[in-house]
Amino acid sequence: MGIDKTVHRFYNSTMLRSFFKKQFSRRRFLRMGIVGGAAFLLSQNFLLKKAFAEAPKTGGRPKKNIKGAYDLVVANGQDPYQNTVKAIDAMGGMEKFVARGSTVVVKPNMAWDRSSEYGANTDPRVVAAIVGMCYKAGAKRVNVFDNPCNDAKRVYVNTGIAKAAKDAGAYVYFVDEWNTVKATFSYKSPMEGWPVYRDAVVCDTFINVPVLKHHSLTGLTLSMKNLMGICAGNRGLMHVGIHEKLVDITDYISPELTVIDATRILTRNGPVGGNLDDVVQVNKVIVATDPTLADTYAAVLANKSPLDIPYIAHAIRRGFGSADLKGAKMHTIAL
Amino acid sequence: MKKLIVSRRSSQIFFLSLFIYILWSTAYPLQGIIRPNIIFKMDPLVTLFTALSERVIIPGIALSIAMLAAALIAGRIFCGWVCPLGSLIDGAGALRGKIRALPDGANAAFRKVKYIILGIIAAGACVGIQLAWILDPVGLAARFVSLNLIPAATMLTSGFFIFVIKTFRLYGPFYDFYRSLESTVLGVKVYYFSHAAAIFLFFIVVVLSSLFVARLWCRFVCPLGGLYALSARRPFLKRTLGECTSCGICKSRCRMGAIRDDMSYVPGECILCMDCIYDCPERVTRFAWGGPGPKPSTGRDRMSRRQFLFLLGSALVMSGFKRGEPGRVRNVIRPPGALAENDFVDRCVRCGNCMKVCPTNVIQPVLLQAGLRGVWTPALIPEIGYCEYNCTLCGDICPTGAIRRLPVPVKQATKIGVARVDKGRCIPWSSDNNCIVCEEQCPVPDKAIKLFEESAGGRRKFKPYVDDGLCIGCGTCQNKCPVRPVRAIRVKPL
Repeated sequence: MGIDKTVHRFYNSTMLRSFFKKQFSRRRFLRMGIVGGAAFLLSQNFLLKKAFAEAPKTGGRPKKNIKGAYDLVVANGQDPYQNTVKAIDAMGGMEKFVARGSTVVVKPNMAWDRSSEYGANTDPRVVAAIVGMCYKAGAKRVNVFDNPCNDAKRVYVNTGIAKAAKDAGAYVYFVDEWNTVKATFSYKSPMEGWPVYRDAVVCDTFINVPVLKHHSLTGLTLSMKNLMGICAGNRGLMHVGIHEKLVDITDYISPELTVIDATRILTRNGPVGGNLDDVVQVNKVIVATDPTLADTYAAVLANKSPLDIPYIAHAIRRGFGSADLKGAKMHTIAL
Repeated sequence: MKKLIVSRRSSQIFFLSLFIYILWSTAYPLQGIIRPNIIFKMDPLVTLFTALSERVIIPGIALSIAMLAAALIAGRIFCGWVCPLGSLIDGAGALRGKIRALPDGANAAFRKVKYIILGIIAAGACVGIQLAWILDPVGLAARFVSLNLIPAATMLTSGFFIFVIKTFRLYGPFYDFYRSLESTVLGVKVYYFSHAAAIFLFFIVVVLSSLFVARLWCRFVCPLGGLYALSARRPFLKRTLGECTSCGICKSRCRMGAIRDDMSYVPGECILCMDCIYDCPERVTRFAWGGPGPKPSTGRDRMSRRQFLFLLGSALVMSGFKRGEPGRVRNVIRPPGALAENDFVDRCVRCGNCMKVCPTNVIQPVLLQAGLRGVWTPALIPEIGYCEYNCTLCGDICPTGAIRRLPVPVKQATKIGVARVDKGRCIPWSSDNNCIVCEEQCPVPDKAIKLFEESAGGRRKFKPYVDDGLCIGCGTCQNKCPVRPVRAIRVKPL
């Protein structure tokens, strides 16, 4: 059989034929192209402008300067949950920091795909205790989130924090790269214009819940370092001149309360860890209203000179908070 | 009421939805009810020919044999009622409207093409080359769903929500609803796959070919269809005619061109779509078990000497592609647990499961970076993601074992590459600033990236270097390195 005949039949059976046989005047074609193209371009421009709108510029959270009953409270005990509850109670209770009907952000260190015994993330029991206390104090809503370094889903599950916080009633969610504001400062800062997650800024109370662990650049990861987790963008670049950047972002957020989880200390190979031999059980929870003071105490606890931690040294130079452990009103609880 | 057609369409929609659901659930933490590798273990084309070309017994190969046995009994029921690509082709064909029949001669000539393709695949498998993936319909559909459809749907849905939330400032319950979608249906990130457009193009050409001739792909090209057609030469479930008036309506509307001029049919071509039962004005067409055998095929249905010689010749040409030296060097980073390069390229069926499941999106299809035979095989591109230290998902769901299933501790010790610091770009090596992001992020417990400490002018500086013995090549350092546009630490394949 002839191949040409088949080809002819093919052509006859196609949509192509009916498509080309339709009356398609030049005018109609041009009109269609112009109208369609203009509509497309307009909609694109409009949509793009909306979708990639500049994040609004926002100054930092207001400083409330709430003082607790003590400057710093340390609780020692086997159970991190009770440590946290007792330490915050000794501070004067969560009611001091959380107003009725307010929105609270609890920012744990939830960055690495490691379970809690490796000491790379905040202990879930500490987070659960804080969330529970916030609700007891009358908080309307407690948000728990972090911008993890490893895959967010794995981290949220494997640290155990997502489940513990959810069980305590918190809203646990993933951060969205587009939901940021641009930080602005009243002074010259290397963090000027840096994208910061909106939810961390738009809240009534911010509670910073870091874990005490080793870090090779800053010596230790403490409360100020933990605030890298509310920053978006190319966060690796924050490591260049990290001391100044961390103090400025802490000033920007000015957390009402800092709760350092020192249940364990990851002493080497931080901040990821992965070796149980590097983890020392300390069973402490440190609570303070001044992040510098909390970090200073934690540094001493981890056997480091606070002045060797670049951001503590910079905070002292700048006069941000106090690093005066001797002059601070301290309280220790043994459980 | 066309009961059988309604059942067939329901079956097609059900299996297509199931197919999409299975591939959608191919993500951490693999909570789907059916593992995606089952789809390919049910596909006799890739499973049998991969087993043959690699000389291995693939676990679950019995499923493929069972599918062929089913075709022996009931014909090409898979093609008409189950195949996801077939369903999509039928869907596209619905746009075309009327079916035009080809003459018997054209049908008989063109349908042989798929046997020739199948023959070439078989010949390749005999000499140790796995060609089945190229035209495998299930893999074609799976790549489309995993690498095109799901990412696009995620992107559009997220884009819509982001647009609405930002425009109307709905940061309240509406945003919470979007967040709940993110943690359940959508996933946290929108996946990106390099040259997804090429994958889509291949798919769309196959699907839209049905606008020219109904089910053109299934009739003339599909090697899986050819394999099923071979098993369905004498099925027990047969089309029978009562008092036929030879009006020819069924022939003119048969989407597979399975009905001849004399109203007899070719069982290997029939996909049991059941159209002819309802097209028949006399209502005398039935499908029944047993009954008289089909009319023996005429000479035109058989393979000619010329075609056989062509097949033999192509097999000879192919033997020129025989595997090279066993120790061929890799020029791309393969997923952890991947077989040796030559074995890997032949064992991989390009189903895209590993790319879909990878939580960091690091596994990407390569075009020609791994050579002509490595088209669309998976490779790690650390600029996009990195290999999660505790994750073994890609090996867990590989249907053919091209990526071996490794226990977590073994995977954590599996080297896939080695990192190299580019001292000209690295911030501490080339300037006065500190960085150490790579060291910080290194997931190896004892840190494969060590720091060389330097004190100058009262300032401490840390310069990173790689401990080759500890580095596993996961690419976390390269991914997290803040230096742009080219990273200052890069992983070389091993």
